[in-house]
Amino acid sequence: MRKSLLIAQREIMAQLKTKGFWIGIFLFPVIITLSIAAPVFLERSKSVRTYAVRDSSGWLAAAVEREAAASDTRRLLLEAQKRAVEKKDLETLPPVLRQLAPVAAKLPPSQLDSAARALALGDTMALGALNAENRAAVLAARGEYKAWWDTATARSIRSVSSGPSRAKYARVPATGDLNKRVADEELFAYLEIGKDPVKDNSGFTFVSRNLTDEDLKDWYENQATELVRKRRLEQERISPKTAAWLTNETKFTQRTVSETGEQAAVGMKDRLRQNAPMVFVYILWISIFTITQQLLLSTIEEKSTRISEVLLSSVSPVQLMSGKIVGVATTGLLMIGTWVLTAFLAVKFIPRLLGAPAGMDFSGIMSDPAFIAGFVVYFLLGYLLYSAILIGIGSVVNTIQEAQALMTPIMMLLMLPLLAMIPIGRDPNGTFAKVMSYIPPFTPFVMMNRAAGPPTMMEYITTTLLLISAIVVTLWAAAKIFRIGILMTGKPPKAREILQWIRTPVGMTPGRREE
Amino acid sequence: MSDAIVLDRVRKSFGDFVAVNDISLRVPRGSIYGFLGPNGAGKTTTIRMMMSIFYPDSGSINILGEPNSEQIKDRIGYLPEEKGLYKNMKAGEHVAYFGRLKGMSKKVARTKGDDLLRKFGLGDWIEAKCKALSKGMGQKVQILATLMHDPELVILDEPFSGLDPVNTEVVRDLMLDLKRQNKTVIFSTHVMEQAEQICDHVVLINKGHILLDGPVSKVRSSGGQTVQLDYEGNGAFLKTLTGVTRVNDSGQHCEFVLASGTDADDLLKQIVGRVKVRRFDTREASLHEIFVRAVGGDTIKQGAPNA
Repeated sequence: MRKSLLIAQREIMAQLKTKGFWIGIFLFPVIITLSIAAPVFLERSKSVRTYAVRDSSGWLAAAVEREAAASDTRRLLLEAQKRAVEKKDLETLPPVLRQLAPVAAKLPPSQLDSAARALALGDTMALGALNAENRAAVLAARGEYKAWWDTATARSIRSVSSGPSRAKYARVPATGDLNKRVADEELFAYLEIGKDPVKDNSGFTFVSRNLTDEDLKDWYENQATELVRKRRLEQERISPKTAAWLTNETKFTQRTVSETGEQAAVGMKDRLRQNAPMVFVYILWISIFTITQQLLLSTIEEKSTRISEVLLSSVSPVQLMSGKIVGVATTGLLMIGTWVLTAFLAVKFIPRLLGAPAGMDFSGIMSDPAFIAGFVVYFLLGYLLYSAILIGIGSVVNTIQEAQALMTPIMMLLMLPLLAMIPIGRDPNGTFAKVMSYIPPFTPFVMMNRAAGPPTMMEYITTTLLLISAIVVTLWAAAKIFRIGILMTGKPPKAREILQWIRTPVGMTPGRREE
Repeated sequence: MSDAIVLDRVRKSFGDFVAVNDISLRVPRGSIYGFLGPNGAGKTTTIRMMMSIFYPDSGSINILGEPNSEQIKDRIGYLPEEKGLYKNMKAGEHVAYFGRLKGMSKKVARTKGDDLLRKFGLGDWIEAKCKALSKGMGQKVQILATLMHDPELVILDEPFSGLDPVNTEVVRDLMLDLKRQNKTVIFSTHVMEQAEQICDHVVLINKGHILLDGPVSKVRSSGGQTVQLDYEGNGAFLKTLTGVTRVNDSGQHCEFVLASGTDADDLLKQIVGRVKVRRFDTREASLHEIFVRAVGGDTIKQGAPNA
């Protein structure tokens, strides 16, 4: 026992001195931070798309611009409203919006649209929908707002909110050779609008060199569709109400039933809870795999530097093997402990720091024993099973290259739970998931995958017992292979030879000619 | 006093290949015991069986009074033929680690390890990583790690391989020092001169069985008288002299085994005037001569029982 602990201790110190360990510790938080921050950051840093429109219809482009101004203004009012209610960051707003903020704060949602139209378009009909007090405030600010809006840059609008179209797209006059301007990258794209949009889509083209970013095209299409539809309805004398009713899709409201049998609404939390297991399976997979790799490398190192025979003159093969497994597990736990902690802190604080909606509340998942306790238990059991396999492999090979050849079937085996992750996540208590749970190499991943199901207590118990027996058998076989393999040089043994080693009782050395 | 190691008809085969064929021997306590034999003779396999790294197919082993060395690993120091160091560990840490594996406390192991390294001229390398050490320094570190816990029995497999003359002398003194402390030292080598100088007792193994076994003096006297010649000049003719059964010519030194009926005078007569004689005397055969003779004879009578 003392000797095993000494071996474990040395293993820990050796691991702590490797670059890989510290890269592992620090890289993961960096990756997770980046993956959360990057989309927010990218969206913000995306350059403004400049476009021109050649409008043969004579009305559509202007109409789109007006509608865009109205909807942008609505977004800006919403942002001002939010800040006024939260009493936060008001001073960073442009003066006219700061002036409008108290008015916006009092606007009921039904009047927000009208206020926006009145401000942006000077729409008198919209003005009529407001109450007297708000109407007066809007009227007072209208001139100044219009002046600000007409000259506002994309940057200044983006500083308030990245939502408005003006923060993303800038229209410039369609003069000169538009193709050349696109080729020169002066224009991101230009759009051509056909003669009669109400009739059909002929003459509508979107010309750009960038074929992957379709945001501008989609946005413009949506805006234009609305306006064209409106004209078509007028032409056919169909009231907008009738049209909306005609096009209304049939939809179900999703609800769920709690454990006590009560019906309940489905929230963000429930959706997260359903999807969380897959994230855990993925982390489980990566951690088991990286950490058992370390064990493999350290075994090969001891073998290739011929230090194992010196060690075996002081400790027994079982002491050596168990010490190594415990030592690597300790560093592994240290590493994933850091990962879980940073992941937790990252999802909690990073979106807030960046000002994105903190809609993702993972605290429920983090405190759910099915997830965290399950994760730790399945990590340990899965680690033990795969560490026995990898230490066995490490002991019979001389180089990493030889190990890789033996690793291929193991890798294929390990890919299965990853491939099955989504089907099992969708049907956590289905036959496929249940059968997979009883196959020990898959048990940790599949049971983790099913955590949202959740499986019955009986299933937890039987699969875990099965897994533990598999671990015992594998460790026993690994010890027998390790005992002989660690001293062996020359080419790796054949499967038949390894089976013979497993069958040979301790106290005897199976035959193998030394090279 | 009982023997440190007793092997009784120990046999070990790997598949069809018999590596050790019914070897019996006794290693007296407090002696330096040499395992001699050409490469592949079965020396390492025998040593590994003493260490319970391999188990014999048949026969019995008794080591420090125990049938199995597993229980008494802490009383034995073992340096395998293939010597390894943890490349990223410091020399001081490495030596201390092996001391601790043998049951020493952390503090004692560290102090003693540093002392030993200093004593053997590695004081400046205590804090150096093992991968920075030269081969000879690495080997000294390994030998010191083997001796850290003051073992009563030391087994060294090819301790001199790869050492320069200075370090060879250091290791030799170390072994003599152990003997003075009444420790038992077993070492294997295929360089006869080393064995001749320091062993009390040698065993000569070839093809898995013992050819010769006994105290060095006895083994040497069994080889009969030889003539030793130191000379200068072209000694090509030395191999053609008459009345000589064997010649071991190494360029400036030559050993002759005389045929019965020939005496040293006859030989000297043939040599004088053809090379410049620096020394000419008669003495017991060298271990080298005995070794070559025994192994050569063994090759001829293959499969014969122990000589």
